[in-house]
Amino acid sequence: MTKENNLCTVFFDGKHIADVKDGKAFAEEIRKSRRKGLISGEVNVAYIKRLNEVHVNADKGRVRKPYIVVEDRKSKFDADLKEKLMKKEIDFNYLVRRGIIEYLDVEEEENILAVMREEEITEQTTHLEVHPAIMFGLIANISVFPEFNSVGKHPLAWQLMKQAQGLPAMNFQSRFNARSFLLHYPQKPLIDSVTYRAANLEKHANGQNFIVAVSTYLGYNMSDAVVINRAAVDRGLGRSTFFKTYSDEERRYPGGQQDRFIIPSPTVDGYEGEQAYSKLGEDGIVEEEMEVNDGDIIIGKTSPPRFLEEQTAFGAGIDRSRDNSTKLKAGESGTVDNVMITETSGATKIVKVVIRSNMIPELGDKVGSRHAQKGVIGAIIPQEDMPFTKDGIVPDLLLSPMGLPNRMTFGHILEMLGAKASVIKGVIQDGTPFSRKGTELINYYGDVLEAAGFDRNGNDVLYDGKTGKKFSASVFMGPVYYYRLHQMTKLKLQVRSRGPVQILTRQPTEGKPRSGGIRLEEMARDALVGHGASLVLKDRMLEQSDKDTVWICRECGDMGYFDHIKNMPVCPTCGPGSKLDSVEISYAFKVLLDELKSLHMLARIKLKNE
Amino acid sequence: MEIKKNEIAYGEPVGVVTAQSIGERSTQMVLRTFHSAGITSEVVSAGLPRLIEILDARKKPKHPTMTITFDRKMASDYESVKEVKTKIEEVKVSSLLGGFEENLKAGTMVLDMDKEAMTMHSITVRKVMEIISHRFPDVELSNEGSSISVRCRKRKEIKAVRTIFVNIRAEMISGVEGIEKAVVNADGDLFYISTSGSNLKGVLEVGGVTQENIYTNDMFEILNAFGVEAARAAILNEMMQVFAIEDTKMNVKHAMLIADAMTYAGTIRSIGRHGLAGDKESVFARAAYEETIKHFVNAAFFSETDRLRGVAENIIIGRQITVGTGRVKLMIKNKDLEKIKAED
Repeated sequence: MTKENNLCTVFFDGKHIADVKDGKAFAEEIRKSRRKGLISGEVNVAYIKRLNEVHVNADKGRVRKPYIVVEDRKSKFDADLKEKLMKKEIDFNYLVRRGIIEYLDVEEEENILAVMREEEITEQTTHLEVHPAIMFGLIANISVFPEFNSVGKHPLAWQLMKQAQGLPAMNFQSRFNARSFLLHYPQKPLIDSVTYRAANLEKHANGQNFIVAVSTYLGYNMSDAVVINRAAVDRGLGRSTFFKTYSDEERRYPGGQQDRFIIPSPTVDGYEGEQAYSKLGEDGIVEEEMEVNDGDIIIGKTSPPRFLEEQTAFGAGIDRSRDNSTKLKAGESGTVDNVMITETSGATKIVKVVIRSNMIPELGDKVGSRHAQKGVIGAIIPQEDMPFTKDGIVPDLLLSPMGLPNRMTFGHILEMLGAKASVIKGVIQDGTPFSRKGTELINYYGDVLEAAGFDRNGNDVLYDGKTGKKFSASVFMGPVYYYRLHQMTKLKLQVRSRGPVQILTRQPTEGKPRSGGIRLEEMARDALVGHGASLVLKDRMLEQSDKDTVWICRECGDMGYFDHIKNMPVCPTCGPGSKLDSVEISYAFKVLLDELKSLHMLARIKLKNE
Repeated sequence: MEIKKNEIAYGEPVGVVTAQSIGERSTQMVLRTFHSAGITSEVVSAGLPRLIEILDARKKPKHPTMTITFDRKMASDYESVKEVKTKIEEVKVSSLLGGFEENLKAGTMVLDMDKEAMTMHSITVRKVMEIISHRFPDVELSNEGSSISVRCRKRKEIKAVRTIFVNIRAEMISGVEGIEKAVVNADGDLFYISTSGSNLKGVLEVGGVTQENIYTNDMFEILNAFGVEAARAAILNEMMQVFAIEDTKMNVKHAMLIADAMTYAGTIRSIGRHGLAGDKESVFARAAYEETIKHFVNAAFFSETDRLRGVAENIIIGRQITVGTGRVKLMIKNKDLEKIKAED
């Protein structure tokens, strides 16, 4: 559509309402009135030169961002206002009302020229950013010194934050989460950001300030492993609780039968003996504060028989039932924390039992800092053997220096320096993104450290804990806010020598919940073949898996069976008197032959004397 | 001594070791794609795609190329090498055209020859006309300066006319069929020719080219021209070439095993279900690899016997495999056995 009359079209909330001669002046007029407070601050106006249109928007759902207004090369937020704001005489909303700060939507942003810092203001400047960090969202602003880290590391750092154990909810004692963690002694970080405080996250801290020395320790912290101090662990460093909820329901079945929470009586099918139910209270549910181990019954329950035939076979009248109790899963143990009995909307009774267990940091547990520096605990060393400074400071954690240069997480190093200054000054330091330049920060922290008698670069002279000798190199040391992540050895460790097998193939089951075996995969198999290790291979493939003895008929080559009554093997095709040999084969192979038979393909086996 | 040291032990599963050696290098090649800024204009497919091409025994390589070298005397003479180059480079009518006009209804076409292109390939208008009139007796030709007028003698259907005209434009004037491009390169002060496109037999007929000094990366051409032993050497060479370009090394014995396995039947066979793996003796080994049902059904139909001599089938049934420690057997003399029994 071409414009004939050269008039500027005005749209209000997307609707064409008028035409004006000078769109730019019209938009400016609206802006002025808005700053004076004549029209609502929620109105945004944009003049689009290319289309010669003015878009006025006052509808809901626009994303808007605050800017400080600049007029005549001067920020309207002057020193006087700054002082008043610091004294809390005025607040942010006051500034918004007075037109000093205004919210702009995406369309109006196209009309402005904003600068990051006050020094950069020129003739054309119309707005000033409130703070450079405003360009980020909440999560990005929680990170400290992100401008010093490699860009690719930030998403990884947030990923770690999600996995951190902390204080997830104040009412954790009355919650019934399927799985949850509670860090025993969460600490405020020594370096935080404005947003961190504004979001009240210090009240939900999810980490602790570890004293970290960037040093090796006999190879126990190579490739991302860390060494931690046993004494620090004993004092509660990284200690947490793991809560797990088991639940069960009293189901109703067709025919008026239903489950019952009860201590099963000896007449019940699958009764496991009096001892097995000893931890249950008289209502059939485990008592609070009872120590439980794997395999212990925590909810006693009886269910009606699975098949109706069973009932008729044993005669009506007797109410037969089977044991359907809930047991603690393999490898789990703890204390019963909480028990809840309630009803569902379908008026059936449900029980929830929370098991709590103490998670003390151990070998293989995962820790990580706010700079995507994650690692597993490679050794827990007694304090006597850890390096120490002349003041007797012993680090909580030894971090290998090799993890730093490649990953370019300089924020981690800066945090160590800053947190050290923070400890010395007794004031939490600020790490808000883009608030100060790197050199400025280093000089400031260096001055603080130097004044307290430390090296201004954050290095400390350390002494070997084992020999007492001074290390020839000084070691970079400082506190870092570390997360204890929820990947823990105790929840993952599993071993098996014998155990459950799959019904079809008789091969071991797979996965931890079924206490399965570790599969010898195809390429590992090829490696064994390549080494000619025939007996190792046979051991893994047959002996530790699905070995079975089958009887092969000498005449027809088909499989027979062993008749335990006559105490002799029988071939069903050749009848009595047939001669059979026993062979050890993989059960899966027997299944294969059976399935081929079902397709009318008979594989005859001819045995050679070996 | 050296031979003894490098001798392979009895029962060593060399095939698996070869597979692993090649497999390891291929995964490395996928991870690190090697880019070289090409100085020559020839395009060579390298790396994993080329390796797969070799092992699959594709009939035509994606980028067939030939290298033609000459004896010392001739190679140092640029002019004579260039002469060979012009002789083998395929020139079509269409590549000599500045433009053309055709009238399918009237059955006429005017070919506007490009003078520059003609001189570059040292071809005259007369020669072009000669070739066309020889190959297409149905058309009448006349010459006007640098353009050739073509006219069909008989009235034909438009479709037939068009076919003739298209064929005329695709007609080869000089060179060897299939050699799309040839470039003279220098190795020190010796010149050689590398081509894009390959035609071994055609190029060999050109004067100045001898069979000792010619190479193509098309192993089927080598097979057809020189026989299976040469093809084996070509496979070996091409495979080592892939690793050499990628700057990795592999023991040549592995490539030799592959080349032997691919050619022992007298022709080139691929590795995979249509070639080597499909020809395995054991039913179970074949069924475990690919097309399970087909192999079982055929085995049942033709009453095949599995003698359980390979590796895969023995793993399936759970027997000791027949390589490595599973290949050797312990023997004892009867009188020694009696002696042991007597001691007990």
